[in-house]
Amino acid sequence: MERLTLTKQRTRARVEGPAVREKFLLFRVGDEIYGMGLRGLREVLLPDGLTALPTPAYQVCAAFTCRGRRLPVIRMRALFEDSPADIPVTARVLLTQGQGRAIGLLVDEVLEMAEVDPARIAPVPALATLLDATSFRGLYTRQDRIILLVNEDGLARLDEVAQFYAAGS
Amino acid sequence: MAQPGTIPFDVAQGEVSVLMFLVAGRQFAVELARVQHILDYQAPTKTPRRPPFVEGIMQHKGRFLSVVSLRKRLGVEGPAPVHPAILLLTDITQDSVVGLMVDQVLRVLSLPLEKMLTPPPRMLGIRAEFIRGVANAGERPVVWLDEAKLLTSDEPIALLA
Repeated sequence: MERLTLTKQRTRARVEGPAVREKFLLFRVGDEIYGMGLRGLREVLLPDGLTALPTPAYQVCAAFTCRGRRLPVIRMRALFEDSPADIPVTARVLLTQGQGRAIGLLVDEVLEMAEVDPARIAPVPALATLLDATSFRGLYTRQDRIILLVNEDGLARLDEVAQFYAAGS
Repeated sequence: MAQPGTIPFDVAQGEVSVLMFLVAGRQFAVELARVQHILDYQAPTKTPRRPPFVEGIMQHKGRFLSVVSLRKRLGVEGPAPVHPAILLLTDITQDSVVGLMVDQVLRVLSLPLEKMLTPPPRMLGIRAEFIRGVANAGERPVVWLDEAKLLTSDEPIALLA
């Protein structure tokens, strides 16, 4: 590996400029704030057209019809809090891509956009959650508040999403 | 700070320094070498689908760490104290630092190893596997916990009242 002298490092820093900041859409689930990268985000829609899927096969996913196409929607409150709470009027469906498939995330409220320096994103401590580590991109602090960033590719690996697509729903 | 698998200096000298604290009126201790800081309580950020004894996460000096309630880990029910303390423990789990919430910090003391008692199969409802030793402090028993086993095991514990 090339060893850089201090002068070369400074020159390279000037050429590269400041760190590229990533954009995230912040949303609320329960009392906590989460973020999702904009890379795969396609649309933010009202949850009209959301229908339940049969239990016990589906505990966290529902079906969402968008322009004649049925997609799996992860009810984030059910996934994160195991709570069958009503859908608030502020709820929205975030249509995104994960593992090359279209999925939706049903969140309680969409808040705002945030730009984050990737160097400030830290891994989620292993003890903090029983969910698969791939469900999260990491976490960062914003105005002294800790915000977890979800990973769409990890969420798309949920068994229920795979089951939905395998059933040709 | 002690590294996993190494013997702290004071243990090699025939005694161990421990930090003693209270949970539900019982005296417990952890090895002092593993305690990095003692913090005043601050409400952790709740994390999704956390283990029942995990309160959430917090940030300390730029690091994010899980906060574990020892009351919940020991199966203690009822209201928690208003001003619990958080012990920052290192080298316990795969996370480099873990916060352990206890009711009240008491003091640091050196326990001579020759006076350390082997725990019975079950003490205060806690299996001996989770206990490194038992000693007397102030004519009351102090239970030196194996914090690593306690935090990495799923086995339920019900502390005797």
